[in-house]
Amino acid sequence: MASDYNADVVIVGTGVVGCLIAEQALEAGLSVLMLEAGPRVDRWRIVENFRNLPPSLRLFHWNAPYPATPWAPHLETRTAKEQEQYLQLEGPNARAYLQGYVRYAGGATWHWAGICWRLTPEDMRLKSLYGVGRDWPFSHDVIEPYYTRAEYAIGVSGPSDPTLQWPPNAKRSKPYPMGPIPFGPGEHRFTEAAARIGMINLPAPQARNSGVSYGGRPPCCGNNNCFPVCPIAAKYDAATALPKIEAKGGKILANAVVYRIETGEKNSIEAVHFFDPDKRSHRVTAKLFVIACNGIETPKLLLLSKDERNPNGVANSSDQVGRNMMDQPKLTAELELQEPLWTGVGPVQSSSILNTTQGEFRSRYAGAMFRMENFARSPLGAAAALKKGLVGRALDVEIRRLSACTARLTVEHEILPSTNNRLTLSSQKDWLGINKPNIHYDVGDYVRQSAKEYTVPRLQQLAAELGATKFQLSPEFLNSDHIMGGCVMGAEPATAVVDADCRAHDHPNLFLPGGGAMPSATASNSTLTMTALALKAADAITNQLRHG
Amino acid sequence: MGNSSHRLGALLICFAVTAAAGICQAADPPGQTAAVIKRGEYLATAGDCGACHTAPGGKPFAGGLPIGTPLGTIYSTNITPSADFGIGRYTEEEFSRAIRRGVRRDGANLYPAMPYTSYSKFTEEDTHALYLYFAQAIKPVEQRPPPTQLPFPMNIRASMIGWNLLFLDSATFAPDPHQSAEWNRGAYLVQGAAHCSTCHTPRGFLMQEEAGRALSGAQVGPWYAPNITSDPISGIGSWTKEDLVAYLRTGHLSGRAQAAGSMGEAVEHSFQHLAAADLEAIATYVKIMRAVRDPADQVSRFSVGKKFSELAELRGRAAIKSDSESAPSGAELFQGNCTSCHSAEGQGSKDGYYPSLFWNSATGAKSATNLIAAILYGVNRTTSGGQAFMPGFGGRPTDANALSDRNIVALGNYVLTHYGSADTTITEQQVAEARRGGPSSPLLALARGSMAAAAVVVFLSVAFFIVRRRRVSA
Repeated sequence: MASDYNADVVIVGTGVVGCLIAEQALEAGLSVLMLEAGPRVDRWRIVENFRNLPPSLRLFHWNAPYPATPWAPHLETRTAKEQEQYLQLEGPNARAYLQGYVRYAGGATWHWAGICWRLTPEDMRLKSLYGVGRDWPFSHDVIEPYYTRAEYAIGVSGPSDPTLQWPPNAKRSKPYPMGPIPFGPGEHRFTEAAARIGMINLPAPQARNSGVSYGGRPPCCGNNNCFPVCPIAAKYDAATALPKIEAKGGKILANAVVYRIETGEKNSIEAVHFFDPDKRSHRVTAKLFVIACNGIETPKLLLLSKDERNPNGVANSSDQVGRNMMDQPKLTAELELQEPLWTGVGPVQSSSILNTTQGEFRSRYAGAMFRMENFARSPLGAAAALKKGLVGRALDVEIRRLSACTARLTVEHEILPSTNNRLTLSSQKDWLGINKPNIHYDVGDYVRQSAKEYTVPRLQQLAAELGATKFQLSPEFLNSDHIMGGCVMGAEPATAVVDADCRAHDHPNLFLPGGGAMPSATASNSTLTMTALALKAADAITNQLRHG
Repeated sequence: MGNSSHRLGALLICFAVTAAAGICQAADPPGQTAAVIKRGEYLATAGDCGACHTAPGGKPFAGGLPIGTPLGTIYSTNITPSADFGIGRYTEEEFSRAIRRGVRRDGANLYPAMPYTSYSKFTEEDTHALYLYFAQAIKPVEQRPPPTQLPFPMNIRASMIGWNLLFLDSATFAPDPHQSAEWNRGAYLVQGAAHCSTCHTPRGFLMQEEAGRALSGAQVGPWYAPNITSDPISGIGSWTKEDLVAYLRTGHLSGRAQAAGSMGEAVEHSFQHLAAADLEAIATYVKIMRAVRDPADQVSRFSVGKKFSELAELRGRAAIKSDSESAPSGAELFQGNCTSCHSAEGQGSKDGYYPSLFWNSATGAKSATNLIAAILYGVNRTTSGGQAFMPGFGGRPTDANALSDRNIVALGNYVLTHYGSADTTITEQQVAEARRGGPSSPLLALARGSMAAAAVVVFLSVAFFIVRRRRVSA
C-alpha cells in the first residue's frame, strides 16, 4: 500500500515524552516525523488568549486559553455543558477524572506546574513491601540515571542540600543543573506552620529557570501564571523543544489526527493513519512507531485499532489496555486566615510536603502529598469582595484582606492500580467520527480510608497552624491532571501492556512511553518519571534500530 | 628598525645572562617574569583576545569561532602555544609582527578582522608581556580550527599588503605631553588594546576605518555600534564619567542603554575585569574626544519616548483563537511577547533588570538596527552582578518563540511609534538582512563579478602607487 509519509521513527504526540524521544533519535542519526493532532500556536497568542479571558475563567479553567479545534477536541470547562462534551466519565468518582490535557503541539506541558519530584525506591515496590498495587519491573537504581538525564534535558532547578531533596539523602548521579527558586512569603509561613506539626515542606524541584538562562530560555521573573501558560518560557514546556527538533532535521506535522495503527505479518506495526482537517486520510510508514499521547489518548488509539490479528485492539493481548487508569485523587481546602499569608510571589507551585507519602500505613491506606497553592489570590479576592456589594475604600480594604488572608491547601492521594478503573471507547463520536474516550473511575477504599483517617485530619491541623478562621473542604475528590496507567508496564506479557523499556509486548516496533506505562502512581507529580521513562525508551529505540 | 635591533640586542644580553639556567627570556629584571606574565594576562583581557579566539564551548584561545564579516566568514585561529596548530613556533619578533602588523609567521597577511590596526599601538614592553603570557601561561591546545576561505579576490591575502600601506598606521602609541597621564592612559587603551574603533568607527569602501569620523558609529554584523563621541545629541556627551565607567563595568545603564552583541561580549570578557583606574582613564579620554554630530539627529537617543499602554482598549475584546496565522497587530504582539518582562507600559522592572523601552538607546536611535537585532538575537551578558538575558525571537533556528519577518516589523514599528524614535520605521527587508547576519559589503558584491574583481585588483595597485608617492613626498 502506498504511503504519504515515511521516516525511521514516527512519533505520535508532541508533548514532553514525544519531543525528548525525537531529540534523542535525531541525535542518533535517525529520521523523525512527529504527528500532532492539534494545532501549533505561538506562545504570544496563548498569552493573549489568557489575558483576554474574563476574570472568572482565568483561574481553574486551564484549558480556556487553548480553544480546541473541531478535529482535536479536548476538555473545555467554560460551561457545565461544555465540560461534558469530550471526556465521557462515569463511576463513583467521575468528577475526579476530569483531565485537562491539551491537544496542541507541545501538549499538556503548556500548562503544567513544572514540578519534578522523583519516585522513592519504596514507591516502586508497593506489592513487595506493603502487599498492595503492583511492583515496577526494575529497581530505583535503574531509573536514577534517567532521572538525572531528564533533569538536565528539561532544566530542573532544585536544592543542593541533600536533606531538602526528595527522596531525602538519596544517591543522585549529578546535582540539579540550577539552584532552587526562592520561596515567597506565603511559602515561608506555610513551611514554618507545617514544621510545627512534623510536616516537612520541601522546596519543589521544578523545570523552571532559576536566576539564569537554560536551554536558550530566560530565567523565571515571577509572572505567577505558570498555568495556564508561562508567558516567557522560563518554565520548560515541550513547545520550546519543537524548533530544536526541526533544527536537527526532524519534521513536525500539526493537525494530523492519528486514528488507526496498522499491523502487518508477524504483528509488527506497518503504518499509522491520520485525518487532516479536511477529513482526508493519510498513511505514514516507519521502521518504528512511538505513541506518546499519554494515558488517555494512547489507549484510546490502541483500542480504535483492533484488527483480525488483534481483536481486543493493538498491544492488547493482555486485556490491560485502558485498565488501571490512575491520577492522584485530590481534596482541596479553602481557608480564611487571621493573619496575612501572601501567596502569589514566585511560581504558582513551588513546594510540597512529601514525608506524608511514605510509611508502613501504605499497606492499609494511601499516602498523600500536601501543599499550598502559591497563586496570587487577588482575582479571587476581588470577585468575592465585589459579590459582597462593597464600594470605595471598603472594597479596596476587603480585596486586600481577601488577597492576603486566604489560601488553598490541597492533598493529593496515591491511588492503587485497579482493572476496574477502565477506559473504553464511547459510542459517542467526535467531529471526525472517532469514538470519544469513556472512563469509569472509582478512587477506591484505599484512598477513601486515607482521607478519613489520615489526610483530612492532617489538613485541618495544618489549617489550624496557619491560623484559619474558616475551613471549607471540597465536597468530592478532584482531578490532579496526572494521567497514569492505561498501558501499564510489567515483565509478564500476560499481565502488562509494555516491557521495562515501554515497548509493547505484542509488537516489537511499537513503543508506548509516558504516564500510561507507570504501574504505580504515588502521590507526587508524574512528569519527571514520564520523562525518565521516555529517555529509557529512547535508548532502547536507538539501540534497536542501530542493531536491527 | 632601531626598535627591533634594540630588541635583538636585549635578547642577546638575556641569552648571555641566563644561558646557564637554560632559559632565554627578554630583559626582565630577575624574579619579575611572573609579574610580566600577569601584566600580559591583563593586556590580553583588555585586548579581549578570547572574545574571538575562543569558540563557544571550546578551549580558551584555541580559535575556531566563525566571525561573520561583510566579506564572508573568517575563522579565528588557535593562538595557544601549540607548535603545529597554534603560535608555539613564533619568536617574540614574529608575534609582535603578527599582532602589530598583521603578518603571520609564514609571511602571509592576516585579515583586519584581527584588529592589528589598533594593536599596532601596543608598546614594546606590553607586546613583550603579551608574548610571555601566551608563550608561557597558556596551555597548548592541539587542534586545528577550520580554515578561512573568503571568496575571490579576498582570498588573495597578498591584497592586504596594499591595504596595509594605505590604512595601517604602524606607529606605536605616542603620549601627548599636553594631556594628563590619565587621558594618555585612556587614549592608549581606547586606541590600542580595547580597539574601540574596530566596531565604532565607520568604514569606507575598502573596509578601512574612516579616521575623520572616529567612533561616530558603524554597523557590526546585525548590530550597530553607536556614536560614542562626546557629542551631546549624536554621541554620549550626556553621560557623566561615572555613567560611562558603570556601563563598561556592568553593560547596563538604567534609562540609557544596555550592551548586547559584541559590546555585551566586550563587557563580559574584557571591561568588567579592568582596573577601576583604567576604566576611569577610558572614560576621561572618551568624554573629551572630538564630537561628531550626525546632522539628521535632532534629539539624543537616550531621551526619546514615554510610558504608554493600550491595554484598556485591548482587553476583553479580542476573540480567543486557536491559531496564530492571521496577521496580528503590533499591539497584540507587543502585549504577548514583551510586557511580561518589560511591563505593561514599557517601563521595565523597578530593580532595573528589565530595561525600560523608552529612554533606551535601542529604541530611541534614528536607526532601528539594534532594536531589530535585540528582538532577533536577544541579550546574553554575564558580569559579576549576574546574567542579563533576553531570549532571541527567531534569530537562531532553536529559539523557542520565533517571530516572522512580518511580525517583527509589526512589533518593532509599534515599539518605535510608542516608546522610541517615532519617525523611524522598519521594513521586512531590514529584518531579513539582520537574519542573514547584517549587510554585506558593496565591495563583495562588486568583487563577485570577475570584471569587477579585476577592477579591485587594479584599484589596489593604484592605491599602492598613490601611497608610495605620498610617502616619497612626505
